[in-house]
Amino acid sequence: MRVLLAALLIFCAAAPARAADIEIAFTDDQVAVDTGFAGVRLTLFGAVTGVEAPAATTDIVSVIEGPAATFKIRRMEKSNLIWTPGRARLIENAPGLFHIYATRAVDDIAPLPMQAAYRLEADLLGFTVNQSLSENSGANQETEETTRFRRAFLTQAQALGLYRARAAGVEYKKGALFTIDVDLPANTPVGDYAVSVFLFRDGELLGSDTASLTVNKVGVERRIFELAHNRPVSYGVFCVALSLFAGWIAAFAFRK
Amino acid sequence: MLLYLPIAEIPVDPLVIIAMGAAVGFLSGMFGVGGGFLMTPLLIFYGIPPAVAVGTEASQIVASSVSGVLAHLKRKTVDFQIGGFLVIGGAAGSGVGILIFRALRESGQVETLISVSYVVFLGIIGALMMIESARALLRAPNQKRRARKRRSPAWMAALPFAMRFRTSGLYISPIPPIILGAFVGMLAAMMGVGGGFIMVPVMLYILNMPTNVVVGTSLFQIIFVTAITTVLHAAANQTVDIVLALLLITGGVIGAQLGARAGVKLKAEHLRALLALIVLAVCARLLIDLALPPASLFILEAAS
Repeated sequence: MRVLLAALLIFCAAAPARAADIEIAFTDDQVAVDTGFAGVRLTLFGAVTGVEAPAATTDIVSVIEGPAATFKIRRMEKSNLIWTPGRARLIENAPGLFHIYATRAVDDIAPLPMQAAYRLEADLLGFTVNQSLSENSGANQETEETTRFRRAFLTQAQALGLYRARAAGVEYKKGALFTIDVDLPANTPVGDYAVSVFLFRDGELLGSDTASLTVNKVGVERRIFELAHNRPVSYGVFCVALSLFAGWIAAFAFRK
Repeated sequence: MLLYLPIAEIPVDPLVIIAMGAAVGFLSGMFGVGGGFLMTPLLIFYGIPPAVAVGTEASQIVASSVSGVLAHLKRKTVDFQIGGFLVIGGAAGSGVGILIFRALRESGQVETLISVSYVVFLGIIGALMMIESARALLRAPNQKRRARKRRSPAWMAALPFAMRFRTSGLYISPIPPIILGAFVGMLAAMMGVGGGFIMVPVMLYILNMPTNVVVGTSLFQIIFVTAITTVLHAAANQTVDIVLALLLITGGVIGAQLGARAGVKLKAEHLRALLALIVLAVCARLLIDLALPPASLFILEAAS
């Protein structure tokens, strides 16, 4: 970590006359979801180059985008006495995780067309809301109903920690160096993540950089998950065998 | 400390899960019941996805029934003939239950199914137990209950394929045990219970089996049927979490030993009234959860 910071410092000092730009690096670009996994905080390091006093004049927006996923969302409906889930809507082509970390509110940093172009705002991602797999009419009519489900999806994804926008998520350290604390929740999706960072001044893009991040399941936890999904029958037999054995051990241990 | 469950895909506190297993194990040791009907709702209250709670509970019941059946095998109080027919019915019932479970899971209604069936069953059983124990408590202490007369169930002998069951000393058709097994198998698949609480009274009062073979035979059926159910859940729904099951088994065996010791010190009528209260409380909590407006109007899940 220190070495990285030092390297960044040297890099900044060596190239003072370059055009404004931004660079980032993760301390660790592999996240292992193991048996003890309960979410993780990653630190993204970066440096702004070619700008005098970047903290005062520029803004940074960082986007962490997980692998594309399909979600099902249902609305609870009251039927007689009890509440039951209604028909599912499918949210397709949405990132499985979408985090925005910025120096202040993204709306104050970049105009809307730019937010849409660089995917800086969850509401502008252009994922689709469909009735269900079979009733996909093809046309993406934006009705009042789909808007409601789109909003509900964003609210729920935020509640789960999968979607997040932090207006004060970027911290300038020394001069041109900054860090971003990326908090991945326990249910963070497995796969390849795209990480990008954008440098803005007065609503104009000065530079950008990307990094990658991989989330993998590892260890026993991964083996169990893969066995259960790839060879479910063998896994079931294994569970029964283990339970029988455990029951037998218990009977043996407490034999009178 | 948190432990990430591989199939439920949520982090849990393993000590809490072991404690829950122990608490239910304690009750099942004390009352001599399986405990699946209390464990599954508890897991759901804790936040385990209901489908995973049901699938995992099936494998836990396999473990908790083994030690019980071993004791009965030693005492030769298992009727393998009737047990075999119960298993045949149970396997079929479990298969049907899994199909229903899977269809409802795809349409998002499985959690409602689980909660509603628990409310119905716990409500009926809790109420019956309450009435029964209230009667027992009101009855004069020295007035003994009349001994049950074992009548030969004529209508069951009149059904086709009637045969002699040596261990139970019955001459009946195998169709009633098959139907009973099938019903209990369906419950196992859809609710994550062994079904002893249904099977034992039916064996006693409808099939008229002798008291000493009833529990052993029902445990014999439960082991096979919950084992089949576990494999089917794993194959069709991928909802058996072996890590969760092992935590529950660990707590369960410890709790059951302590419960069995505590049970000896309490009167049967008091025990039954206590269990009835617990059952009714769980039923009420499930009903309230169903009837109150949900915390969030929308539910989001990953689609596979």
